[in-house]
Amino acid sequence: MKTDVRVRPGLAKQGARVLAKVVFAVMGRGLVACARIDPRVRAEALSWPEGTTITLAILPGHPSVTVRKLNGRLRSLGSKGAGGSTLLVTFKSADAAVPVLLGMKSILQSFAEHRATVRGDLGLAMSLVRCLHIVEGYLYPDIINRRILPRPAVREAAGHLRAYAGLLGGSVNLKQEGAAS
Amino acid sequence: MIPAYYEFSNRAKVLSGEKAIENIPYELQSLEASHPILVTNRQLRDLGLVDIVLSALAAGGIEVCAIYDAVPVDSSVDVVNDLARVYREAGCDAIIAVGGGSVLDTAKGANIVLTTGAQDIKEYMGTEIIKARCMKPFIAVPTTAGTGSEVTGAAVIKDTERHVKMGFVSYSLLPDVAVLDPRMTEGLPPRLTASTALDALTHAVEAFSCRQANPLSDGYARAAIDLIREYLPVVLDNGRDRTGRLAMANAALLAGVSFSNAMVGIVHAIGHACGGQCGVAHGDAMGILLPHGMEYNMDVAGERYGELLLHLKGAEAYASTPADERPAAAVAAVRDMLSDAATRAGMPMRLSQVGVSAEQLPVIAATAINDGAISMNPKDADVSDVIGILRAAL
Repeated sequence: MKTDVRVRPGLAKQGARVLAKVVFAVMGRGLVACARIDPRVRAEALSWPEGTTITLAILPGHPSVTVRKLNGRLRSLGSKGAGGSTLLVTFKSADAAVPVLLGMKSILQSFAEHRATVRGDLGLAMSLVRCLHIVEGYLYPDIINRRILPRPAVREAAGHLRAYAGLLGGSVNLKQEGAAS
Repeated sequence: MIPAYYEFSNRAKVLSGEKAIENIPYELQSLEASHPILVTNRQLRDLGLVDIVLSALAAGGIEVCAIYDAVPVDSSVDVVNDLARVYREAGCDAIIAVGGGSVLDTAKGANIVLTTGAQDIKEYMGTEIIKARCMKPFIAVPTTAGTGSEVTGAAVIKDTERHVKMGFVSYSLLPDVAVLDPRMTEGLPPRLTASTALDALTHAVEAFSCRQANPLSDGYARAAIDLIREYLPVVLDNGRDRTGRLAMANAALLAGVSFSNAMVGIVHAIGHACGGQCGVAHGDAMGILLPHGMEYNMDVAGERYGELLLHLKGAEAYASTPADERPAAAVAAVRDMLSDAATRAGMPMRLSQVGVSAEQLPVIAATAINDGAISMNPKDADVSDVIGILRAAL
């Protein structure tokens, strides 16, 4: 009788993980970029307590992205620093995360379907969701935004291109940007 | 309506009817427990409701190893930790919670601490992160017909240091047994009866129209509204009507199962904020805000509200109302219920009657948009939208 029944994930599953890793990185940097260019995201981030660390992840040990507010700066830490998060949003599988990350399903619908868990203050989670909606409004074309955002995307301060350019920066001084705008 | 994907769980065993409490000893044995702690508050002890449970336990040969009656109106981290300490020191092996939402939520919180060994319950704040396979045996005996907490996987506990209410949502929090005995609610005064009933009605209406609504939660919501329509007038006329009391307890439980799985929406988000910022009683806020919340959602949830007309007004009214008029008729039916409760029991109909002023609306709105319930509302809402609802209800 064959007792070794280990099954390797198929190519599609492995592809989903790689894709999730890439999109997580973009989301983390997108959040920082939007905190620089959009006063709504900046205001949300300024309301977070100093030291707030937010992680989006897919099950322990799988792709993740962490954003931290420290000394008035919001910084994307990439896949590092997932420990000790103030707020941890964990998708239950890569299959649950990919439709959200690719703009095929809204964040709120994902929560409604129990696709993700939240560890931490639900008020902070609501603030993060509002930020992610704004980030999606900048990063995705409106044909996608119409499907996944609860109301039409408003790009108050800049267009898609400036948001994409902002992905190159890894951190933002929230108070300085607020004074400049 | 069939969602692309949904999850549903209700594993609580329900005992409903006369002398249901007398079966608690048997249920404890089934749960392999024999030394429960009884969690309640002093007011319920003074009213003699706890004695009914203690008497039933004694008759069944069960010795309560501790009675914890220090639960305040708002459950808090300190109380949860204190309850867990008493449970451990007394060597208890099960929890029997006798009370309203605060007592049941305190018991749920203590169960988290006792089962996980958490040093700080705040570690478990959030949704679906409690992974304990075996929670302590937990029997819930509600003494109001409103919160449905006896069948929900949610608890709200106040952080006294930060002055915020923390939400805990997990299927692991569901009690093992829910006991509905009409003796527990027959002494409720009309005002509280109406207030808690409108809370249950709001659970059912919001669960039916929220993002997580599904065929199973819909069934529970419909049944809850049917019972409220038929029996709320009965118990407001005669609080000692045990059939009516049992029906209302069932309505609250059914609505509880529904919203535990489908969640609630903007009415609860604003109601929680009114409670936190202005001390408005939860049921009062629900009754006042429900029709306004429905009107706000009308353009996206109108069809669903139209379906509820059947349950809010009955088959004849539903059949005689043209389909396109049913959504508005459903809102009118809710207003009629509130108006009837105001006439019979003195329920407030406007926020200004419960101490909310126009100056407080911005801070209420800012709090409401950070409430988790708003994320499950069928229609997005920002601060200005919430202020609009509050102004209409003021």
